[in-house]
Amino acid sequence: MSIIKVNNLTKTYKNGKGIFDLDFSVKEGEVFGYLGPNGAGKTTTIRQLMGFTNADKGSCTIMGLDCRTQTEEIQKSVGYLPGEIAFFDNMTGEAFLKFIKEMKSIEDKSRMHDLIERFELDPSRKIRKMSKGMKQKVGIISAFMHDPEVYILDEPTSGLDPLMQRNFINLINEEKSRGKTILMSSHIFEEIDKTSDRIGVIKEGRLVTVEDVHSIKASLRKIFIVNVGNQKDIDIIKSSGLEINSVTGNQIEIVVSSNYNKFNQVLAKCNVLGIEILNQSLEQVFMKYYG
Amino acid sequence: MNKTLLKATFKSNWGVGLIIAAVMIMYAFSIISIYDPNSLAGLTDMVKMMPKELVAAMGFEDLGTTLTTYVGNTYYNFIAILFPMIYVIIVGNRLVAKHVDSGSMAFLLSTPNSRLTIVKTQALYLLSSITAIFLLLILAAISICQAMFPGSLDIGGFLLLNLVSLLTFYAIGGITFLFSCIFNDTKQSLSFGAGVPIAFFVLNMLSNAGEQMSWLKYFTIFSLLNPTEILEKSSTTLISIIILLMISAITYTCGIVLFNRRSLPL
Repeated sequence: MSIIKVNNLTKTYKNGKGIFDLDFSVKEGEVFGYLGPNGAGKTTTIRQLMGFTNADKGSCTIMGLDCRTQTEEIQKSVGYLPGEIAFFDNMTGEAFLKFIKEMKSIEDKSRMHDLIERFELDPSRKIRKMSKGMKQKVGIISAFMHDPEVYILDEPTSGLDPLMQRNFINLINEEKSRGKTILMSSHIFEEIDKTSDRIGVIKEGRLVTVEDVHSIKASLRKIFIVNVGNQKDIDIIKSSGLEINSVTGNQIEIVVSSNYNKFNQVLAKCNVLGIEILNQSLEQVFMKYYG
Repeated sequence: MNKTLLKATFKSNWGVGLIIAAVMIMYAFSIISIYDPNSLAGLTDMVKMMPKELVAAMGFEDLGTTLTTYVGNTYYNFIAILFPMIYVIIVGNRLVAKHVDSGSMAFLLSTPNSRLTIVKTQALYLLSSITAIFLLLILAAISICQAMFPGSLDIGGFLLLNLVSLLTFYAIGGITFLFSCIFNDTKQSLSFGAGVPIAFFVLNMLSNAGEQMSWLKYFTIFSLLNPTEILEKSSTTLISIIILLMISAITYTCGIVLFNRRSLPL
């Protein structure tokens, strides 16, 4: 069942930018990675999902409710993290989180405290004096504290240190295993790689591709750089039928996608001095959509 | 209406309101304390020695013969306009436009509260805080008058005068609130939200200043607040009240409806 549905959504801004005929959906329990260069329309899409702006054409729904007209109902089950975080002036982190907790009518404080602990946030400071990363943590806690069914996260790890980024990825994977639906925009391939089930790439306001991460990963080819003893070994490998990328001296690059057994058998006949693996990453697959 | 938001808005704005109320009460005290029923004529003579246009612009021309007319003309033509106006300009802009401009509105709207609830709560805050300022002023002014000149103040007339002043600021507040609701950045919201009331204020002073410019009174809301006419229980007061209520109703409703419908740059 699709939780988030975007149907032919078009929103043009005065400068000609925007999103055009956007059409995609996010299934229940799925993490949807939303990629694209700066200014491609990621945040514009998210604004539509949050009901902040009126569309020129098309519509979007979350759990069957219209994003623009049934916002109040939708927000009960959505956790939202804005891309640019702005809080109330002069509130401490604690006061702000308490304020959001009350605005969301949450009775149970335990999840909020768990999250504060998990992200090692010191909430007693004035938000105005917090660093970018600390503000981001406050934003994440606000988005996750009411344990919603759906998450909409706009560049959630920006400003976080590597340890906290890992922390965040773990949190996402936990939520995913609890059946939550997540749409997450990002520039960081690593976090998308570790969390997403599908990836949508947007460029200049149009969706250029939607790919299943698991099948991409399965089709990723591995390149083995093998150092062998002499020219005879090179010849054995060359005549074996394995896919050869290049040969430099006694070093040979072999491309392997599924034929690991054959690869093994061939190498067993040679005097192998060393093997290096060159991983083709998701980043390389998607980089072509940027630029 | 949302209680949590109302509380938060109160917390970040009560300071301004309190300062405004304190300054207004201080002025009320000094104006009342220099009143002397025996030498009101002398005071009128003294006022006559000052430049005529300036005195007229501030509405001090005719001080009347009683404590009530004296307070009405010295205070409600100038002080009681200037300070609430400053309050309404500052707070009106903060209530909506600032949240939209800074982006904190995104957090408000990502809670299960409709835009209507959020913006109505902010409107309610503006209306009730203006009311609170006037209530404090009324209480203080009546106490000061009763303490210094027991029985001299026409309380009914004074209350009516304050009611019209309060409604004037419901209307002026409505105007700043409307601009706060429709603009994306505080610069615009503030230039219109402050510009229009200040223009009314200047037009009001000019229209008081002389016969040639008295036609300007048709272009300013503040001419509906005419202390002399109100204290004479003139029938025009009722018309003023109705017009002020209509302006308030229209501006707040438009602000709320337009905010609910428009695209927000969050």
